[in-house]
Amino acid sequence: MNLRTSNRRQFLRDIGLSTAALPFFSGLPSLRAAQASGKKQRLVIMISPNGTVPKAFWPDATGTDFDFKEILKPLESYRDRMLVLHGLSNKVRGDGDSHMRGMSCLLTGKELFPGNIQGGSHTPAGWCSGISIDQEIKNHYQSREESRTRFGSLEFGVGVPDRADPWTRMVYSGPNKPVGAIDDPYQMFNKLYGQVQDREHLGSILDDLQTDLKRLKGMVSAEDRQLLEDHADFVRAMETDLQAAEEQKLHHAAPELEPGVSDTNDNIPEISRMQIDLMVNAFANDMARVSTLQYTNSVGQARMRWLGINEGHHGLSHEPDDNEDAQKKLVKINTWFAEQLAYLVTKLSNTPEPGADGSMLDHTTIVWTNELGKGNSHTLRNIPFVLVGDGFGFEMGRSLKFDDEAHNRLWMAFAHGAQHHVESFGNPKLCQGGALDLA
Amino acid sequence: MLLRVFLILLLIPMHSWANPVAQRGKALYMKQCAECHGDKGEGVEDEYDEPLYGDRTVVDLAKVIHDTMPDYAPEECADEDAQAVAAYIHEAFYSAEARARNRPVRIDLVRLTAAQHAQSVADLVASFRWQPKAEAARGLQARYYDDRRTRRDKMKLERVDPTIDFDFGEASPLPGEIGEEAFAIEWTGSLMVEETGDYQFSVRTENGFKLYLNSDTDTPLIDGWVSSGEMVEPKATVKLLGGWAYPVRLEYFKFKDKSASVELRWKPPHGVNEIIPTTTLRPTAAPPVMVLQTPFPPDDRSLGYVRGSAVSKAWGRAVTSAALETADHVARHLRDLADLPRRRSEAPENETEKIQAFCETLVSRAFRRPLTEEDREHFVRQHFCEDTPHDVAVKRVVLLALQSPQFLFPELSPAADSWKLVSRLSTYLYDGLPDAQLRDAGKKGWLGSADAVRKEAARLLDHPTARAKVRTFFLHWLHLDDEHDLTKDHQLFPGFDASTIADFRQSLTLFIDDVVWSERSDYQELLLGNDLFLNADLANFLGHGTMTGDTFRKVSFDPKARSGVLTHPYLLARFAYHQSTSPIHRGVFMARQVLGRSLKPPPEAIEFDDAHFDPSLTMRQKVTDLTKSRACMNCHSIINPLGFSLEHFDATGRYRFRDRHAPIDPVSEFGTQDGRSLTIRGPRDVAVHAAHSPTAHRGFIQHLFEHLVKQPVNAYGMNTLDTLHQDFVASQFNIRALIVEIATLAAMHDSPSNQATSTDHEPKNL
Repeated sequence: MNLRTSNRRQFLRDIGLSTAALPFFSGLPSLRAAQASGKKQRLVIMISPNGTVPKAFWPDATGTDFDFKEILKPLESYRDRMLVLHGLSNKVRGDGDSHMRGMSCLLTGKELFPGNIQGGSHTPAGWCSGISIDQEIKNHYQSREESRTRFGSLEFGVGVPDRADPWTRMVYSGPNKPVGAIDDPYQMFNKLYGQVQDREHLGSILDDLQTDLKRLKGMVSAEDRQLLEDHADFVRAMETDLQAAEEQKLHHAAPELEPGVSDTNDNIPEISRMQIDLMVNAFANDMARVSTLQYTNSVGQARMRWLGINEGHHGLSHEPDDNEDAQKKLVKINTWFAEQLAYLVTKLSNTPEPGADGSMLDHTTIVWTNELGKGNSHTLRNIPFVLVGDGFGFEMGRSLKFDDEAHNRLWMAFAHGAQHHVESFGNPKLCQGGALDLA
Repeated sequence: MLLRVFLILLLIPMHSWANPVAQRGKALYMKQCAECHGDKGEGVEDEYDEPLYGDRTVVDLAKVIHDTMPDYAPEECADEDAQAVAAYIHEAFYSAEARARNRPVRIDLVRLTAAQHAQSVADLVASFRWQPKAEAARGLQARYYDDRRTRRDKMKLERVDPTIDFDFGEASPLPGEIGEEAFAIEWTGSLMVEETGDYQFSVRTENGFKLYLNSDTDTPLIDGWVSSGEMVEPKATVKLLGGWAYPVRLEYFKFKDKSASVELRWKPPHGVNEIIPTTTLRPTAAPPVMVLQTPFPPDDRSLGYVRGSAVSKAWGRAVTSAALETADHVARHLRDLADLPRRRSEAPENETEKIQAFCETLVSRAFRRPLTEEDREHFVRQHFCEDTPHDVAVKRVVLLALQSPQFLFPELSPAADSWKLVSRLSTYLYDGLPDAQLRDAGKKGWLGSADAVRKEAARLLDHPTARAKVRTFFLHWLHLDDEHDLTKDHQLFPGFDASTIADFRQSLTLFIDDVVWSERSDYQELLLGNDLFLNADLANFLGHGTMTGDTFRKVSFDPKARSGVLTHPYLLARFAYHQSTSPIHRGVFMARQVLGRSLKPPPEAIEFDDAHFDPSLTMRQKVTDLTKSRACMNCHSIINPLGFSLEHFDATGRYRFRDRHAPIDPVSEFGTQDGRSLTIRGPRDVAVHAAHSPTAHRGFIQHLFEHLVKQPVNAYGMNTLDTLHQDFVASQFNIRALIVEIATLAAMHDSPSNQATSTDHEPKNL
């Protein structure tokens, strides 16, 4: 067999994740059979920054027969899979300005430590003092054999700046322990499939290495030849290992990423798509049950030139309500985020759940949220929460309005949905009334 | 290889058993001894299965035979008969010379050792980066800002800080110019480490910081930018190679915190958590170094030195994993390493050709010689197809090259040409690949004469990585390169804590460095010098006057009390028990490593059990009692006097006058290898003996040769050790001159000017 043909490469590319013997092959996930007991559940938290445009976002009606305003239009065909929650507020107070708390207390429901980072107003602050809900649920899943996965959770980012502070971090594995998102799809690909890729490169040079060894064996004395023969044996063994890897395939082959998409503002649409493809793929191969998808950062200044908008997002969000041009642009921007969500939802909905009935969306709860309720007022009231999918068994297809309830109660409902029966989440004082009843 | 066959033939010496005494001895041996000891002294199973070899003189041997042999009737082989048998077996198989003759060694094909592998990969990648200049200044470049950000217009002070160890309290670092509520400081430079191993770095502060170390990206090693005003010390561990400088940058700021302080700390291998000392800091920049993180299985050291004599599956996997790691690094930094514009949009039209040329250079540097046309096609060009992205092609090139025997076995190419010569020099002297000047010599062949080679070797020996290799040798020679717990009983030896132990290790390496890198580089000084390097803590521990500060200073001792490395506390503590001294460990170490004597393993393993003895006995009395049998005394007559000579030093190397309540008795009679009796009154007598003993010199030379070359010295001819010994004596025991001589001799052993046989091996691939 000639290893140098493209067939050979194709063959290697198709080699699945396996239990092959080489050490750099280890730590790969094995494909689980369908769960014997309990339904497989997943959680995705998607966040976009700088608040929404309330009048173009919230449905007027409550109940099952709710209306779709402009921003949520891209999701209309999923009406009966959706839950739109109005009236939830981030009530965490203390140090840090609204942006910092909007970001770093959104998933944690707990105060920031005092610190040395100064925002645009208010007192300086440090990292958050609690764990975020995604990590809480991930820990729960990882603690049990039947829901444990290779990574537990994956933190995706799109256009997240290369600095760590309370504006760029929303995931916390514990007090003072922020977790950064990976916003380079190639880096994420490496994390997920690097070993497969290494094997592919390795497979492509094994014939050449054997040729080299054969040629060189002729150059040395009989006494020394044994050493090179031993070496050649290992190379042959490596080839056998690689071929053995063929036995076990990925449920879904690794996605082919378009090469050379650099991490720049103008590539955000492309990167967003790549990241979502990687996320769904990782879910299909059961590498994780929890994921976050973070668009830029609090005070994010993405310039969405692909929508014909040249101004930075955060700058626009400060414009007053009567600036119609700015409002129009902000609606456009938020609609674009809804489209990203729709792309994710559609992808999950079109992919059959491995080893079970139905689609992957039937096993996944997605929530799209925001650091602020509204940009120009920096309010933490009425934070957008849009849920899609049936992972946690909520009663979907509704629009609900609450009366300024602490959002901690929503995260309690998420934990309970994940069979993790917490008494409170984040600041216990903000948990009065217990988990929201969404079932 | 033909050359080796010739060498082996040359090794077979003329030896003369024509001598009638020896002939009679042979007949007697065959009749009375061979039944139990075998025809060639190899031993006989169920009789006496130990081979007969050792370092006794003929006279000594004759006495043992006269007294004890044959064991069923010692009187049957006595006087002249015993002398004849002794003369015969000494000549035929007992002595070291006879053994070397009977088992001619050859130059084996060896692979890179793990250390050589790591060094070679670092050299390979570094050869495409800029080279930092030697820097005399110490400390880090500091810039102080009157703002929480490092704004250029707010910079108020620029200077070199010797260490990063500041406690500003509530005040400003520069009152009047910089406010106390908000300020920033940036320290930049490089960090030179001497030892290979895991280094744990930490920053202790209540404020914000980012620490970058050997960072080839913008990712900090530790990111503590956000803080809550509470004192923290986050840590991160990285593997570093000795003899390299690593870029370091610390960005620090205070904003509204109550107080401000910052310490840059590390815990080096064998060390303790401490402020990074000034001596390791340089205010100038250095490029990042590619340090393999892949763990390798340990190399063979059964012959007393580390060598790449065997390949195993675990090694094969490590090679593959290391090749992947390197391929990844090269592909990620391709634009930098191949000197391409950073932005892809500015890519030159001939980018593919440029990357191919880079790959060819890389492969040829990895192989330590130019590539043939066939090589170029095989290793580089065929991987660049139209549908293969550049980074994938580059990865394949690196993967193939770094797994090729041409990289892994530096001696593989049969050509004894100038490329072989320069690659040997770099391998012997610093375990790595030829540097730019050596490559030039390889290309143009200007290293013709032995003198020219010596000059190059001397130049290379100044390189920090070569110094690191020499340092490793001394630690190996003194048996300090293995992990060994030196802690002692806290009740008996209060104050001998981890920090004291680490300081003593540093004190020892300072002493060795001081001797080796001084003008005279005197081996005898290593044994006879009466200086110790001490800081305040160590001086205090040894009860030696009052000193202040952490800085080490050279302190002279009474030459009667202390003598060179032999009495260095670190070494004495290494060869001691938890609660007491160990004259046996100390004696064995001195006999083998310092005096070059050969000792057989004990006939039966007897453990020294302190509790077994009457507690009123001294250590000397206990050891004497334990080893009093004739079988033990074969070797312990050598071991014990050496060990007893150090009884004035307790388990921590401190001088003592009494063992329990009895005064110390360090005096013994000692039999030298040439059959003399020597009265030893203390360590200085042992040191003086070693400093003037040809056996000790030869032992030292052999250890050094094998450490550098990774081949047995006898494989280079039976006379090699003699030649090197003569040179060593002539140079007044100059260690560096010896290293240069070893490298030159081993590198040129088969060069055309040394041997007429190599004409068949004209290089074909140039």
